[in-house]
Amino acid sequence: MAETIYRTRGLSRVYATGAAAVRALDAVDLDVPAGEFVVLLGPSGSGKSTLLNILGGLDRATGGEAWFRDRSLTEMDEADLTRYRRDHVGFVFQFYNLVASLTARENVQLVTDIAADPMSPDEALGLVGLGPRVNHFPAELSGGEQQRVAIARAIAKRPEVLLCDEPTGALDSQTGVQVLDALAEVNARFATTCLVITHNAAIREMAHRVIRFQDGRVAEVEVNTTRRAASEIAW
Amino acid sequence: MVSALSRKLGRDLVRLWSQAAAIALVLACGVAILLMSLGMFQALETTREAYYDRQRFADVFARATRAPRALMPEIAALPGVVAAEARVAGLVTLDLAGRSRPGMGQVLSLPAAGGPPRLNVPILAAGRLPDPEARDEVLVNAAFAKANGLRPGDRLIANLNGRKRDLAITGTALSPEFVYTLGPGALMPDNAGYGILWLPDRAAAAAFDLQGAFNDVSLALAGGADANAVIDALDRLLAPYGGTGAHGRDQQLSDAFVTAEIQQLKAMAWILPPVFFGISAFLVHMVLGRIVALERPVIGLLKALGYSNLAVAGHYLMLAALTAAAGILLGWGVGTWLSRALAELYAQFFDFPYLVWRAQPGPYAVAGLLGLAAASGGALQAAIAAGRLPPAEAMRPPAPPRYGRTLSDRLLAGAGLGQPAMMVWRGILRWPLRSGLTLLGLALAVAVMVAANFLDDALDKLIDIAFTQAARQDAALILAQEAPAIAVEEVRALPGVLMAEGQTSQPAILRHGPRERRIGIEARPPGADLARTVDAEGRPVALPPRGLLLSSRLADRLEAGPGDVIEAEFLTGRREIHRLPVAGIVEQYFGLGAYMQADALAALRREAPRIGAVNVALDPAAEAEFDAALKDIPALAGTVMLTQVRRSFEDTIAQNVVIMNTIYITVAVLITFGVTYNGARIQLSERARDLASLRILGFTRGEVSGILVGESLVLAVAAQPVGWAIGASIAGALAHGSQSDLYAVPVVLKPATFAAASLLVLAAAAGSALVVRRRLDRLDLVSVLKTRE
Repeated sequence: MAETIYRTRGLSRVYATGAAAVRALDAVDLDVPAGEFVVLLGPSGSGKSTLLNILGGLDRATGGEAWFRDRSLTEMDEADLTRYRRDHVGFVFQFYNLVASLTARENVQLVTDIAADPMSPDEALGLVGLGPRVNHFPAELSGGEQQRVAIARAIAKRPEVLLCDEPTGALDSQTGVQVLDALAEVNARFATTCLVITHNAAIREMAHRVIRFQDGRVAEVEVNTTRRAASEIAW
Repeated sequence: MVSALSRKLGRDLVRLWSQAAAIALVLACGVAILLMSLGMFQALETTREAYYDRQRFADVFARATRAPRALMPEIAALPGVVAAEARVAGLVTLDLAGRSRPGMGQVLSLPAAGGPPRLNVPILAAGRLPDPEARDEVLVNAAFAKANGLRPGDRLIANLNGRKRDLAITGTALSPEFVYTLGPGALMPDNAGYGILWLPDRAAAAAFDLQGAFNDVSLALAGGADANAVIDALDRLLAPYGGTGAHGRDQQLSDAFVTAEIQQLKAMAWILPPVFFGISAFLVHMVLGRIVALERPVIGLLKALGYSNLAVAGHYLMLAALTAAAGILLGWGVGTWLSRALAELYAQFFDFPYLVWRAQPGPYAVAGLLGLAAASGGALQAAIAAGRLPPAEAMRPPAPPRYGRTLSDRLLAGAGLGQPAMMVWRGILRWPLRSGLTLLGLALAVAVMVAANFLDDALDKLIDIAFTQAARQDAALILAQEAPAIAVEEVRALPGVLMAEGQTSQPAILRHGPRERRIGIEARPPGADLARTVDAEGRPVALPPRGLLLSSRLADRLEAGPGDVIEAEFLTGRREIHRLPVAGIVEQYFGLGAYMQADALAALRREAPRIGAVNVALDPAAEAEFDAALKDIPALAGTVMLTQVRRSFEDTIAQNVVIMNTIYITVAVLITFGVTYNGARIQLSERARDLASLRILGFTRGEVSGILVGESLVLAVAAQPVGWAIGASIAGALAHGSQSDLYAVPVVLKPATFAAASLLVLAAAAGSALVVRRRLDRLDLVSVLKTRE
């Protein structure tokens, strides 16, 4: 049995917007084994992004507890969380979030500048097949290429977890497959735990584990015995 | 290797260059003016201190008619006095080769024993001191020599107490007593027409019939000595010998002018730069606030990547700091250049042996640090907001601004304004602080213009009152000794003289309660038409048959008004104390004046009317004959050509006003541009989607840009009255800050001044808004709408 990398107990997040309080996450208990490729499915507002944000140290829970290995994320202060993000977590976002004024290499360098034991930006870009385009600015890259830069940026620090929020949401199917392929490759090669949020049910076939969300709760956890490669998926 | 974040910083700056440049230019103005005034202030003060110290500039000065040399030991023994020196001093008429008009000279005697004086030691610029035994050798001040092309070995003719003497120049010198060399009746130094002549004691004493006597004494005091006590004691000792009242350095003419200049620089340093720094801070605040709002996703990303709050805040702070650095460097450059230019200007008026403006680290550091503080202060809120923004929140688009229906909306709706006008109005009200600060920034631009133009009008008025209304004579002849009033007739008989009026000036101490001032009471015949007393509007005020007219500043200093009784202690004649009512207040911008009727003065002093000077009106066609005749009048100490004084004053003023106006107009345009351009750019960025939507809905370009430019222009128009008010108070502060006993500048604010300021600022605002409009015209509608906010 693999080590558990994330564990949550009664994890809750309530947003107070005006008079009505919104329960984005409602007492979630979850265990994520290290090294798995995990897909989080669910409709909008079901709590997937909130969970990812808390696990990634971007947001704070309002109740319950969450652990990264044996460290309590819910007890970390601001500086600890920053440190945690810097050392352990890689993020990939739906809209890539590349800095427009930096080239592909420089966008990756943003991470390698501050990480403890990073690979070189060129190596990271090579891993996602962007070796020849390192000096291009985001505006000169296609959507799929931009997302791969974002993946290169996320993996360059050799993170233990890769948190991806709708990484293919803005991409067409063919480019989406390339991006998923890159993620699967990272997962297989470096045993990086991947948590991938998606609206796209087809992607679940790639996963070791699929977690379905509904109304801020975990509705179902499904473990795949057989996985398909990204290239076999279509939507 | 350059970090990726630094690269982003560099590229952001390149992208934002126009906005950064607008901010940097405004900041540079503040830095440059601060550097110039602070640097020059420091340079003048340290130079003066060193000069006075090395040349042993005296602390107390006094004049008398004729005091015996035997009095000197007693004077030197006064408590607190460390050195005392007696001299013979007097005015002479100079006949200068190549000059039709006679010049004027101030004779000062050198010690009988030879060598330099003990106090007020002249620095030899060329040649040597005169031989103490020589009767025809003279040392002259360097500025006079230079202006007249005189060198050691050259000769000049002086009318020494009635005898024409041919003197050989042995050397030229500078003296701490004559840093600012102003002849009697002059308003500006005239180095060609007025010189200082150091003569050997014997020659000077013989010329003024003062063998074994002196009429001028200088004292150096011990540190901590009570100057007032010494002055009183000296007055008592000199009273029997015609002492006209001792005074300290504060009333030494040259030093008073240097002090006034230093004071003016100080006023400039503390009044103007804060305006610029304030505007820079506001601009940084506005621009950086918008950048942080636009870069929310980037901020979120940086935090997700593990950059600390401090690093993120520092990143944006650095953007402001680099902009500030550009402004500071530019300001240092311009300030250095301005300081040099000012130093050259000072070199024209002030005779320091070594006033060199050196780049002192102090003022650079102060100006730079204040500039940096202004920019950082402006950036702080936005930078802290960026640092504090929680990463998860930063990743989400911001909530749309909450517009609420307010009373003003209902009023506007009632007024039947269209939707575009509504958008403009809501935009202003939605961000009241930003709108208010924009308005304030534009108001300051107007204010700077008002404050600049005020000076122009003020000097026009000053010249009008001082010359056209008050001092209307073409020349004033200064008599070597007071003469009976009938002497006017002799002057009237000179060739070219159309009108002649005598006047006298009697030194006196005026007291009112605890306040006192040592001044000269000017007495003129009733109905004098050449030299008149006038009120603040330039209307002549007749001299009263009884009592005094006080100039408004003297009245202020004495805290006296019409009806109050002033105690006047005359320092000549019987040295009586009289109580005189203040009959009225008159305007006098140069010096502190007090005036009375000649007959009234004579009656008061129980003397026949006497005159010390004669004012004349000249026939321009006969000026040459008049000039020639003057050279042969023995009783004449000197001549002040007021036509010339007037012209040189006007020329100097005109030159300075042109320089000042150019600077201020540049500054006002820069401020306006900085505020309007940045404001409109920010609005364009905030409203690009709204405006693009309107275009797609069918609004024309003109209508859409009307919304964008409209807000800027509404604020610009609203800023005008505020700017007028601030400008009026800056003008008041500048006038107040630069006034002294020597001169004052009236506050004159004409409607045209306000109009010109408003026109310029509105034009600059419209121009900057139109630059932004061109961007709007080029806006790619589709891409704007597709972009995710």
